Amino acid sequence: MSLLSPLFLFALLGIALPIWLHRLQTNATEREKFSSIMFMEQSQQRVHIQRQLKYLLLMALRILFLVLLVLAFTKPVFFVAPDAAVTEDTTHHVIVLDTSFSMREGGSFDQAIALAEGLIDNMGTDDIASLYTASGSVETITAATADTAVIRGSLNDLSPDNGRLDIGAMVTALDSLIASSQANFIIHFISDYQQSGQAVRFADMIPDVINGRPVTLNIHQVKTQNIANWSVASVEITAVDTVRIGLKNNSDADQSAEKTVTLSINDLTQQNLTETFAAPADGISYLTFENVLFEEGDNRLDVNVSPNDSFPEDDIRHTVFDNSPPAPVILLSADPESLAVTYITTALETAPRGYEVELQNINDFDPRILQRYPWIVIDDIGAVNESLAQELQRYVDGGGAILAAVGERTLGQTSIPVGGQTIDGGLTFNRNTAYSIQRVNTAHPVLDGSVGWNNLAISRVLPIETDDTSNVLINLNDDIPFLIERNIGLGRFLLLNTDLNNTWSDLPVKPVFVSFIAEAARHLSNEELLVKEQTINSFLQLGQNGGASGQVYAPSGDSLLSLADTTQAQSIQLTETGYYRIVTLGRDILVAVNPDARESDLNIMDAQTLQNWETMVAGSARSMEFVDGIAVSIAEEESVAVEIWRVLLILLAVIVLTESLLGNRYLRFNTGNTSL
Amino acid sequence: MQIGQTDNKNAPTRLLDPSVLSSLANLELVAKAVVEGFVMGLHRSPKYGFSQEFVEYRAYVDGDDPRHIDWNVYSRTNKTFIKLFKGETNSHLMLLLDTSASMGFGASHSKLQYGKYLTASLAYLASRQHDAIGAMIFNDEVVQYRPPTSKSGTLHGIIHMLDNAEATQGTAMHKPFTRFREHVKKRGLVAIISDFYCDPETLMENVRPLALHGQDVIMFHLMDPDELNPNIKESTLYEDMESGDSIEVDPVFMQQDYPQRIKAHIAAIEKTAQGMNADHILLNTNEPLDRALHSYLTFREKRA
Repeated sequence: MSLLSPLFLFALLGIALPIWLHRLQTNATEREKFSSIMFMEQSQQRVHIQRQLKYLLLMALRILFLVLLVLAFTKPVFFVAPDAAVTEDTTHHVIVLDTSFSMREGGSFDQAIALAEGLIDNMGTDDIASLYTASGSVETITAATADTAVIRGSLNDLSPDNGRLDIGAMVTALDSLIASSQANFIIHFISDYQQSGQAVRFADMIPDVINGRPVTLNIHQVKTQNIANWSVASVEITAVDTVRIGLKNNSDADQSAEKTVTLSINDLTQQNLTETFAAPADGISYLTFENVLFEEGDNRLDVNVSPNDSFPEDDIRHTVFDNSPPAPVILLSADPESLAVTYITTALETAPRGYEVELQNINDFDPRILQRYPWIVIDDIGAVNESLAQELQRYVDGGGAILAAVGERTLGQTSIPVGGQTIDGGLTFNRNTAYSIQRVNTAHPVLDGSVGWNNLAISRVLPIETDDTSNVLINLNDDIPFLIERNIGLGRFLLLNTDLNNTWSDLPVKPVFVSFIAEAARHLSNEELLVKEQTINSFLQLGQNGGASGQVYAPSGDSLLSLADTTQAQSIQLTETGYYRIVTLGRDILVAVNPDARESDLNIMDAQTLQNWETMVAGSARSMEFVDGIAVSIAEEESVAVEIWRVLLILLAVIVLTESLLGNRYLRFNTGNTSL
Repeated sequence: MQIGQTDNKNAPTRLLDPSVLSSLANLELVAKAVVEGFVMGLHRSPKYGFSQEFVEYRAYVDGDDPRHIDWNVYSRTNKTFIKLFKGETNSHLMLLLDTSASMGFGASHSKLQYGKYLTASLAYLASRQHDAIGAMIFNDEVVQYRPPTSKSGTLHGIIHMLDNAEATQGTAMHKPFTRFREHVKKRGLVAIISDFYCDPETLMENVRPLALHGQDVIMFHLMDPDELNPNIKESTLYEDMESGDSIEVDPVFMQQDYPQRIKAHIAAIEKTAQGMNADHILLNTNEPLDRALHSYLTFREKRA
């Protein structure tokens, strides 16, 4: 037995309390001094001894109660050994069942179960077996045991899921799961052996041989030939009212089939189109729906293909189309007629996402509306007065974001409002020679893949000094920062060390400016984190609305985050197919989750490859070295931790009940005597 | 001051309760020996003591207090004579106080405490009558012994001795009473103050020799109310204060049978006292001390 929280044992000092109380009670009331007992006669009923025994029993119960309570807090666990110990003749059958999405095809999984049961039936008397499932991950279903009934019972509870099996990853996971066992291994891998599941490197499919144990791989195929399968490969919105559906021929030969494709939007069937699809091996045939009507916001697009083939589960595909209007963004400017406003507005409106610029005079701005916008733009940060700076500080601190540039109004200031960076002397450099870009942090999302920064002509900048809290994304020569990002609270502040009037530099009129504004907008509004169509078992990045994650609902309707996680969780794993709904302050966001398309490819690994695999696994094994006459037990290594706190709780309940009854009897006894 | 109450533990005179002394001032302690001497004519001078009415002179003998020598007669005759007055006979009073552990029993005040008050009161009373007083404190041994004398300071010495007495050990009368007999040769009054938790036969064996030697024995039998009528409501484990033995008794026995047994024991002690021609006075430690002495002295006066 081990204790997971042994520090709680200090609480055992508490048993001194009942001992002290009982001692006190006994001494105080049970024994009385008398001048002489020479005329007394022993009572026929040894009440005192009975009571003393009762006292002791009561005290023992109370001590036991405290001990068990403390023990329950220490989280004791027992390590239970498997039923059978390993000897030289023992063979450990590791049964690995493929439960990936492709096993839903036809009767594949039923056949896999039948194969597993056959393996269990043929186990030797000294053999042990363990059961694992392999899909997106490898799970231990039953630890090594000689009890075949246990494994058989576990088999009945299994079913295929929607994950993808990568055989290389599966072998690596198996290595770690069975590494500590000391027996001879036979790995029984029951699968459809999809070609798409084969590891890129063949060596990745060879299990490590640990401690010189012989390992044998037995391949059990649930199907031995390729199966033609049509699947919905893609759903694209090519125009605002046009949807193009791609059906893939997952076979090794040309195929054609008449299929009816149904397009449903937000659970309402919009169109049914029946067409004969023809595609070469692994080719895609397309069908276009026109005059499709979308609702505003996120739309759920469900594509269903009929008649079903032998693998109907991949004849469905979920997609999300964002039909939201251009996102509003505030541009704060002291001079609405300036060129800077024109340049920024143009860049934002031409960005792929599309933004609707709401120009506001910075002198008349009501900061109370800030909370409606995930991010804002300020063309000259120097125009921000002290009170507005405080409001903006609170806005950023609470999760908002600001893209700002310096300008003529920043001249003469000693620090950047909101950002807090100091300006050395408040002077601008105005040298005869132009500045040049020295370093661009292309790893940052705002600058990822952007080119053209080196072609800028920069004549004036502010001598901004940064500290550890600021991240300089672009440096000029003389180590002058040109683009600075600072995280403030839950939000971000992005500062360009140039004006946007095409005076200090020509950035506003260069093509890189448009892409920069678009990427900065995506970055500051956190849109970059969101991929609205994902594969099952992938991770969804949260932080959609100014750092707040919001609540996430699974396709089944379950909420996935606790109240605390709604503001803290950074990502969740998508384990169900369908639509996940992310509810944030601003809006609801949908994310479609589909099975991995590679699972629809039912072409199997060729026989030669499988043969080579078996041979290589056998070849890598060596003889197991046993110490003469000593059987090696796996009890310690593969023992299963069993928590006993439930048992302790039951015992505590029994003790409380017994203590109450006993204490009550004691009270009754007293009453009886008093009446004498 | 009430019995059991003390205002200064270390003061030797605290045992002399003024209320007790004021009530005893009008009474005279008449020693049994005087009465006996008066009745039997065996006492050498049973009718003479140190009162105000002069009777005669007698020659000074060793042992007499030199303070009583009449120096005027000495100046005229060159012989030492002592003035005798009519009144109570000067006598020896020996106070024997039991300090065995059982005397420590008592709810509000222990029997020992009560015994101390009684002993001190008797000593004070005797001292006022110019009697020679002595005391012995005993349990199963002689703890302290002070021979009888009428010298000044005796009373305070006895009171100091009483103050230091504590209830310890058991009760075994043979050894202390044997020693007592060895030291006391003159006849007088012997007051035994005890709870007499002993076999009456043993008591007879040890006290009877005193009576046979002419000592008048008064037995003050101290009992606590809880000893006479124990009142318990449930089975109780009692521990003997002397032996340390324990016994569990039920309340029915303690309320019905035990008082009978105690009464029988007291009766046996009283019968033993009668057999020795001694007086047996049962004192409940709950009753006021002055009243107890008054009752006793009244009784003695009647007998005298």
